[in-house]
Amino acid sequence: MYAYKLDNNPYPSSPTPTEKDAKILGGNKHKEAKSAILECLKELNEKVRGRDSGDNDFRTITVIQDVGSGKTHLALHIKNLKGRYNSECSFVDLSMISPKTMPSIYNAIIKGFDNDFFVQLRIKFLEYIKERAEQGDVSAKKALDYRFVNKLTGLTIKQKADDIICGKQSVSVENLKEFLVHKFNYYESTFIKNVITNSFESISNLEELLGMISAISKLTQRFLGKITLLEIDEFDGNKDSIEFVKGIINAHLPACVLLLISTPSGYAEIQNINPSVFDRLEKANYKIDLAGSNSIDELAEIIVEYIKHNDKHGKFGAKEEEELCQKIHLLYEEFPEFRNVRSIINILYHAMEKSSDLELEKIDANVIDDAIKQTYPGLRVKGSIMDVPISDFMTIRKNCDECSNEKELKEAVYNLTNFAHMMGNICKLEKQNMPLDVIYQDPFGAKIGIAVVTNLDKSSSLDEISNISKSAVVDKLVILTNQNIPSPSHATIVKVDKSKMVDLIYFNNKYNRKKIVESDNQRAELLARTLSII
Amino acid sequence: MIEEILQKIESAGVIGIKKADLKKTCGKDCEEIIERLQKEEKVFIEKKGVAYFVWTADNYLLHLTENDPKFKLMLNMFAGISNSISRLKEQTHALRQEMEDLNRHGYTEESVDFETEFNKRLCESGTAVGWAPFSKIREKVCQTTNLSKEKFYTLATDLIEKHRERYEISSGGPEGVVVRGLVHGYVRNV
Repeated sequence: MYAYKLDNNPYPSSPTPTEKDAKILGGNKHKEAKSAILECLKELNEKVRGRDSGDNDFRTITVIQDVGSGKTHLALHIKNLKGRYNSECSFVDLSMISPKTMPSIYNAIIKGFDNDFFVQLRIKFLEYIKERAEQGDVSAKKALDYRFVNKLTGLTIKQKADDIICGKQSVSVENLKEFLVHKFNYYESTFIKNVITNSFESISNLEELLGMISAISKLTQRFLGKITLLEIDEFDGNKDSIEFVKGIINAHLPACVLLLISTPSGYAEIQNINPSVFDRLEKANYKIDLAGSNSIDELAEIIVEYIKHNDKHGKFGAKEEEELCQKIHLLYEEFPEFRNVRSIINILYHAMEKSSDLELEKIDANVIDDAIKQTYPGLRVKGSIMDVPISDFMTIRKNCDECSNEKELKEAVYNLTNFAHMMGNICKLEKQNMPLDVIYQDPFGAKIGIAVVTNLDKSSSLDEISNISKSAVVDKLVILTNQNIPSPSHATIVKVDKSKMVDLIYFNNKYNRKKIVESDNQRAELLARTLSII
Repeated sequence: MIEEILQKIESAGVIGIKKADLKKTCGKDCEEIIERLQKEEKVFIEKKGVAYFVWTADNYLLHLTENDPKFKLMLNMFAGISNSISRLKEQTHALRQEMEDLNRHGYTEESVDFETEFNKRLCESGTAVGWAPFSKIREKVCQTTNLSKEKFYTLATDLIEKHRERYEISSGGPEGVVVRGLVHGYVRNV
């Protein structure tokens, strides 16, 4: 059992999406992109309904976005969609074709369709031949290999066709060719024969490739009443790929939508290598914009969607969602590594696995910490001096956001100077009744005063502190603050940003629990120096 | 015993106490203690006429100030120097403050200018989907602002990090900002 009582790990583990993973689509941007693609399919479908498709029935869609932003996931999701507005889809990953010759690309397009597509087409083609045969077309009867003997034995044309459909009998290939050649063009005849015999011939050049794809889309529309969607992934500056895409666009394939997926870098390559193709892509009918697909809100929505989709026991409520989103927000803010869908999903996958091993009810900070250690062993919290573990960082940062914890920070500074005193870096002095937090003598004998100011409204003593800097009570005054305060004369202002605050509080927690180990000594000293405490 | 002797010397004030009087009160053994205190610079001894007088450090200082014109002169000179140093410190601090303010102001102005220029060039250089190579933007921005390539990328990195919701970057390309160890050579407005 996984966290939130899930039966399975909801997150995919593969570095690139599979068709199975792509069944779930989360995130507003991705959903909007999906709607735009479906809208294009719907529009073309309505346009060609009830008539033969022509030159104007071709559409181009481009999806240009950075790696790991969910482009392939979106394309596979569309391919898997049942209500895909009467379309048949072939998904081709150009990165998996080498060398990118026309025969290999054609082969990939054929393999990119679902098997069911060919099964349906085969039935339709055979039914068409059957109908012609029943109407008395001799060449159709020959194509079905329906002979006089069949008739004598009482076998009807329908039964013969049904036997061929279910594989009990086969067509006469030679007669089929003869039948088709009078009714269809060369490429259509070849494709129908290939589908019926379930044996696809190879092609040798771009002209044949375009002819075959044109035949596929035309026959799909005529026999299945569907349009064809060609999804071409990893399109880049490869010359053969560009030649193929240029040919497809120029061929105006009937009742066909070409969806091209690339990265901005691939798109720039195309621009440099073939301005003519680039110009065609720039004028694409639909430019799917996944802008903001790596924003924090989008990532959080995607992550939540995976859990919700698998939450059969209803254990993932609003509270759990909020808690998980808080953790995702922190990871996103602090680690540029996790600012894309692929990386964050990877972490969540491992965190889920650990939650199952440890029988946890939810994904907590420790489990995320472990997952990060396992998958990104060298990853450290940005700017952390104390080498704060990510789980502690998440907890402390959360509290830092909730309120500016002046008391805790003052205590941390107090303890850090105690520590420096013990280490012999400074000599702590009595602060008496002064509005300072710490007074010490540095190794040169100078008297240093430290004041912590985190809340300007509360810190009515800021004026008093400022006055100290004017007097000779201390030789040097250091004001530690997370606010923008005017610098009093003779005082050094040290800005305590969130990462330093986390470091201080982490040190303080360890100090109070007497958990400071030898390896912390140097770090604590460095922290004290960074904050001008010593 | 030491405390008692020190207290007696202290209570004698600026005038000091005769060593002989101390011996009378505290016994001959005090001779050794006084010598030790003298070595530790806790007390000072000076011959006045035929008698030896003993003072604590603070009282001896006051005694010298009142009775030794040379010392008085030197002390005044030192006070003058000390005042000058303090004034100098104050002035340095004020100057530093002024410089920091100027720098801060200058940096803000520079950032604002850079942002405007960057956005302008981004709009000019983008494709239909909005992506633009950093190299193109950099060329144009550096030409008009005289920024170095390094400075451009420092400012561009700051700008993008500061407004993550406004810009989107993409990996690849010959030059760009480095994120996660990867060159991100393309940028666009979200």
